[in-house]
Amino acid sequence: MGRFELPHSYFSMLQSLYSLLPMFGLIGHPTSLEHAQATADFLGFSEYSSMDLDFWCGAPPFIADEIKVTSVTGDQIEGRYVESCFIPEMLATRRMKAATRKILNAMAHAQKHGLNITALGGFSSIIFENFELSQIKQVRNMTLEFDRFTTGNTHTAYIIARQVEQASKQLGIDLGKATIAVCGATGDIGSAVCRWLNKKLDVAEILLVARNKERLEALQAELGRGKIMGLEEALPEADIVVWVASMPQGVQIDGDRLKKPCLMIDGGYPKNMGNKIQMDGVYVLNGGIVEHSLDIDWRIMETVDIPHRQLFACFAESMLLEFEKWYGSFSWGRNMITLEKMEMIGGASVKHGFKPLLLPL
Amino acid sequence: MPQLEATLELDFQSDIYKDAYSRINAIVIEGEEEAYANYNQLSTLMPKDAEELVKLAKMEFKHKKGFEACGKNLNVSPDMGFAREFFAALHGNFQSAAAEGKIVTCLLIQSLIIECFAIAAYNIYIPVADAFARKITEGVVKDEYMHLNYGEEWLKANFDTARAELEEANKVNLPLVWSMLNQVADDAKKLGMEREAMVEDFMIAYGEALANIGFTTRDIMRMSSYGLAAV
Repeated sequence: MGRFELPHSYFSMLQSLYSLLPMFGLIGHPTSLEHAQATADFLGFSEYSSMDLDFWCGAPPFIADEIKVTSVTGDQIEGRYVESCFIPEMLATRRMKAATRKILNAMAHAQKHGLNITALGGFSSIIFENFELSQIKQVRNMTLEFDRFTTGNTHTAYIIARQVEQASKQLGIDLGKATIAVCGATGDIGSAVCRWLNKKLDVAEILLVARNKERLEALQAELGRGKIMGLEEALPEADIVVWVASMPQGVQIDGDRLKKPCLMIDGGYPKNMGNKIQMDGVYVLNGGIVEHSLDIDWRIMETVDIPHRQLFACFAESMLLEFEKWYGSFSWGRNMITLEKMEMIGGASVKHGFKPLLLPL
Repeated sequence: MPQLEATLELDFQSDIYKDAYSRINAIVIEGEEEAYANYNQLSTLMPKDAEELVKLAKMEFKHKKGFEACGKNLNVSPDMGFAREFFAALHGNFQSAAAEGKIVTCLLIQSLIIECFAIAAYNIYIPVADAFARKITEGVVKDEYMHLNYGEEWLKANFDTARAELEEANKVNLPLVWSMLNQVADDAKKLGMEREAMVEDFMIAYGEALANIGFTTRDIMRMSSYGLAAV
């Protein structure tokens, strides 16, 4: 009897079914020009490894990686990493049009590839919000469907809140007696973290630090508590500092003025606090980072020095939404994150095996 | 976070604008003329598809008339001598390929490179165009996507046999597109169009076309790098 062969049409059918498989997306970017050049080399595109900022300003988005994630429940999903070719130096050199074009083009690319739910990682969601890109729905011949995207901020806020709770225990800081300064308190993530600290944890004092006075007062009114303070004034009083402000150039912090012990949760982007403050009694924890219980099959993250199990919580949000088939913008807009949604995504996070990153004590 | 710089105010009647427009408008008119002639020529090389190709050619002719009207509307005389010179190298490559019956190379030049170039330039132009030209360009760009699709479909169906020739034709012709973009960068800027935005849009359209035909991301990255040789 001859070998059983499937007709060619069967494979075409499988192929078309495969293309219909649900997939999540991550929009990411290099952390610097140097990182972009190294990544190009790593991915085998050596032609691009010597290219300067001008080149990246005109570079199109592309799918840089195919990702497979397995949940502790046994479920498996697949995703795509969309490299937007945005580089933080574009903001520093005021190439704003290039920066915004990168984000919109990457979103159009994700949508064109049929990705159900895509997280805007790194600076992507910050640029989207700050430049009000929601006004630009048309990208060439494509109308962007914003409900296919999520900022991932709900999961990031949830993870940071859990990091406060769990890492403070690691250091023996009693939250009931502790003062927590939230820097960037009025932002999307900051305000959500404040809501959690206020309602879900027994925290002695919350210090609200941000630039906009009106927004601070509105947040204080909403919480019904919290002291509004300047950064310099707040830092020496805090047992825990939650840093969720995003500044391309970062900020200088004098470690001598901090309490000892002090837990600094660096939830900003880019994360550079660990290099800046190295002092006994000051513990810097990368905020908004999760650890998965199982290895994730991807190559792209090898370029950012984080192991196969660690990832940004915002990226993990799109994975969780894909696992749960919760399509639609789970996190979108500013100050829309409720405790209920944080609990919901937190439940999914635990269910599928993601854990907040803690101190390596 | 800094804000987006205010959009450049354009004075469509200023001498600076009209001077730049005389060359850009001519390039567009010449581009449509080339496309009209190229599709007609392809119809003789591809008799099975002749009817469709002649239809595409007619559409390009209509576009040419539309863009001529845009120039007249601004009282600008297109510098056709400049435009013919601008397209000379690409025109020459198409003619040599047609003479040798190299359909794949002809399709790469016309249906991929010229169409993607047009799509990129028109998409970047639309938001900064005068009201008359905007309406015309919006209509044209819809047609151009259709033309790109024709080339893509044919090359996709013949990918196995066309692949090597496509790679070679890309290597020869893509650097020309870059030098063409560089030549018009200053004039385009006076019309509110940025070179890097055009490069990006061209690479998006061209990369998507190559992907639809059957090339992998890795192939596309490698093939795209030939454009850089001209920078």
